[in-house]
Amino acid sequence: MKVSGSHTLNTTPVSFWNMVMDPEILEKITPGVKELKEKGEDTYHAISEVKVGPVKGEFKGELSIKDKVENHSCVLVVDQKSKMGNVVAEIQMNLEPLPEGNTQINYTGTAKMSGVLARMGQRIMSGVVSTLSKQFFQAMETHIKEQQQTES
Amino acid sequence: MGNFIGKSVKRREDARFLKGAGKYTDDIKLPKMTQVAFVRSPYAHAKILNVDTSAARNANGVVAIYTADDGCGQYGVPCGWQVNFKNGETMREPMHPLLAKDKIRHLGEAVAIVIAESLELARDAAELVEVDYEELPAVTNPRDAMEDGAPLVHDQWTDNAAFDWCIGNDRAEVEAALEAAHHVTEMEFRNQRLAPNAIEPRSYIADYDVNADKWTLYTSTQNPHLIRLLLCAFALGIPEHKVRVVSHDVGGGFGSKIYHYTEEALVTWASKEIGRPVKWTSDRSEAFLTDAHGRDHVVTSKMGFDKEGKIVAHLTDEYCGLGAYLSTFAPAVPTYLHGTLFQGVYTTPLIHLNVTAPFTHTVPVDAYRGAGRPEATYLLERMLSKAAAEMNLDQAEIRFKNFIPPFDGIEQPGYQTQVALQYDSGNYEETLKRGLEMLGYEDFRKEQEEARKNGKLLGVGISTYIEGCGIAPSAVVGALGARAGLYEVGHVRVQPTGKVSVFTGTHSHGQGHETVFAQFVADKLGIDMDDVEILHGDTEQVAFGMGTYGSRSLAVGGSAIIKSVEKVLEKGAKIAAHKLEAAEEDLEYAEGKWTVKGTDKSVSFGDVSLTAYVPHDYPEGLEPGLDFSSFYDPANFTYPFGTHIAVVEVCSDTGRVDLKRFIACDDVGNVMNPMIVDGQIHGGVVQGIGQALLEEVVFDEDGQMINASYMDYAMPRADDLPMIETDRTTTPCPHNPLGVKGAGEAGAIGSTPAVVNAVVDAVAHLGVKDIQMPLTPQRVWKAIQN
Repeated sequence: MKVSGSHTLNTTPVSFWNMVMDPEILEKITPGVKELKEKGEDTYHAISEVKVGPVKGEFKGELSIKDKVENHSCVLVVDQKSKMGNVVAEIQMNLEPLPEGNTQINYTGTAKMSGVLARMGQRIMSGVVSTLSKQFFQAMETHIKEQQQTES
Repeated sequence: MGNFIGKSVKRREDARFLKGAGKYTDDIKLPKMTQVAFVRSPYAHAKILNVDTSAARNANGVVAIYTADDGCGQYGVPCGWQVNFKNGETMREPMHPLLAKDKIRHLGEAVAIVIAESLELARDAAELVEVDYEELPAVTNPRDAMEDGAPLVHDQWTDNAAFDWCIGNDRAEVEAALEAAHHVTEMEFRNQRLAPNAIEPRSYIADYDVNADKWTLYTSTQNPHLIRLLLCAFALGIPEHKVRVVSHDVGGGFGSKIYHYTEEALVTWASKEIGRPVKWTSDRSEAFLTDAHGRDHVVTSKMGFDKEGKIVAHLTDEYCGLGAYLSTFAPAVPTYLHGTLFQGVYTTPLIHLNVTAPFTHTVPVDAYRGAGRPEATYLLERMLSKAAAEMNLDQAEIRFKNFIPPFDGIEQPGYQTQVALQYDSGNYEETLKRGLEMLGYEDFRKEQEEARKNGKLLGVGISTYIEGCGIAPSAVVGALGARAGLYEVGHVRVQPTGKVSVFTGTHSHGQGHETVFAQFVADKLGIDMDDVEILHGDTEQVAFGMGTYGSRSLAVGGSAIIKSVEKVLEKGAKIAAHKLEAAEEDLEYAEGKWTVKGTDKSVSFGDVSLTAYVPHDYPEGLEPGLDFSSFYDPANFTYPFGTHIAVVEVCSDTGRVDLKRFIACDDVGNVMNPMIVDGQIHGGVVQGIGQALLEEVVFDEDGQMINASYMDYAMPRADDLPMIETDRTTTPCPHNPLGVKGAGEAGAIGSTPAVVNAVVDAVAHLGVKDIQMPLTPQRVWKAIQN
């Protein structure tokens, strides 16, 4: 399955980069994440609870970040297992600075599914992914606002 | 015609089915019975790195868990047919293990069996089994499987071919004729993979009795004796007389319940291990993943014609997918049951079919309603209609030009084809004439022209099919290289009171044998149908049998019963002659009694049967009893044929196909029960329409089946269908006693190309020459746009 999209955030590429590279913040803003533990450099053990429509369950596995070009781009690698099947995804993320200190995040990649997810879920998974990414960016926006309020 | 033969007697079995009182395997609950959940692979191709059952073993209610490392790991299920390579190399026949060891070769392949006190507990425990896989690239398309560098399904061989095969005339001769032909029509298409979708999922209960050292296997199968033979002699190596196989009511098979499956052998093995009954019933997801699929041919074909539109040569190359392992009948389907029908109903003088049959990373492919014959018919019938369009001939006209002339198989000999078989009897043009009358063909063409002016897309599609049924004459299939012949057993036991129990080795799973077989037995014996009981589906009741598939039950099983009925009447006549103090040749038998010709002296069937069992006053030297069993091995296949015509309207905006009319004029030989034949035709036609318009198993590039549920796999529904208009011609089969040919598969064979021909006809004036099945609105719309 192809995954792609873009989102504009009211923050600079540098601050976005710092947020994504901070496991505590990442744990807070990633939808459904119950636990995110650093396993090694840029590699995390993740447990998440996903519930979007008929797709719900606990996912366990690894999350890692590779091909990092600081403040500019990276590749997010997801390898999650669940009773419904497994998801393996590689998402390329590019940050584009916009005027007034904003950032456009463009992401594109593929997700491979197996098990029940592939058999029953494939048709609805693109909807699930888009809901999850929306939730991710919303949570990030909320986080940014909170931060800005604290700073001011 | 007697009192019952040829009448639409209502089906006896429906009384229990309509009340929900059928007895299916899953309805059976035995004391101390355990339940099974399988741990199945989520990948199509993977290495199994580790299987950890420790957490699952400690789960609540778990009785046992087995993997390939346990005793069952040494066993596999066999393939029943062998097709060797053209160069003489033996067919590649991999072990089909009961549980996968080291490697996964298709999605859903079982890695472990979890046995627990209840289904819920078994499923909960199965979720605790941790399997580490290393996913590998998979290949699901049969043509791709033969490309250089394709992922290998079985590492012990250098490519994926299980065998290759050809039939017909010399290839060079056929190529030369195509070269010289006035016109050559070409086609390239995929006869897509289908899931069988029996309404009752597969279900097995094995019950090992330690005191008797004996198993009872309750199974939803089409052929209990064959399952016992394969299970005992080939899968587990246990003595055949120590296993009883019982198959009560079965909710549809369509081929998918012919085969001996791994789960069947595994529950049998496990029942002895734990000393308790073990039940497994497939859920619908498992059915999509593990029932043998049908079709899956990739076809490239050329047909040459002379100026008049007569076929001069036909050359086809096919890649026919077999799946990861060889299922029971698999090698026979794209070969003996397919290539032998390439003559169709036409006088084609030169035919060559070349088949390459590879393994793929998918569940095995085997017979599905029609088995090889729908694939042959689709090719021929699409080819003729496509050629007609290209040569500016009418679809009907090109068929009339090419038909084999009528022959009855008695006065005129059978028709020898270029592809090994000899047709028994046929009158092909008659069904087409009748079908065109039913449609009002001339008027329809005018209506179509008018409609086009108004932007309405109407189309008509014709298919004139033939099929080989009544499988299978041992001598014929033996000569073709098969490992078995498929005769049948019919046992008639006249009880002392004149009531009759008939035991048949065929198996009814929707065909209505309990009714139809009673009809002709009652008529032949001149007794009431209520006095005849048909029994099947229990290896300890019925001596032997080959089961039901290939539209064989009446033609082969019915003939075996008739043989026994004749033996009953022959012996009965001796007893009657003794009682009437007359010579046997002076007696005539009618209406259930023997009468001395020209007198009113008679003795009834009931009196004779009682005498046979209470033989105080009895012919000297004659054994008591009235009980006969017969084996019947047919002399030839039977060859039903017919014409199917579809009328469609295509929506130019959306590409949606609306099936307006469907006409089936079939010739299935003599008809015992017209209502049941109509029902069989209706069911088959609907399955064929399903393939034409809706159904397809879809794999993604990793070998995941992405439409393995009824949310995504489109089955035909009532609102997709018009009322099916049926009629018949009757050309009796000359070589079996009832003159019957078989009706179970005809509908699925004839209908598919008729529908596709109709859709292509509807949009032909827009330049469309072909559309790939299934003809979804998207594909039709795209074809119109292009």
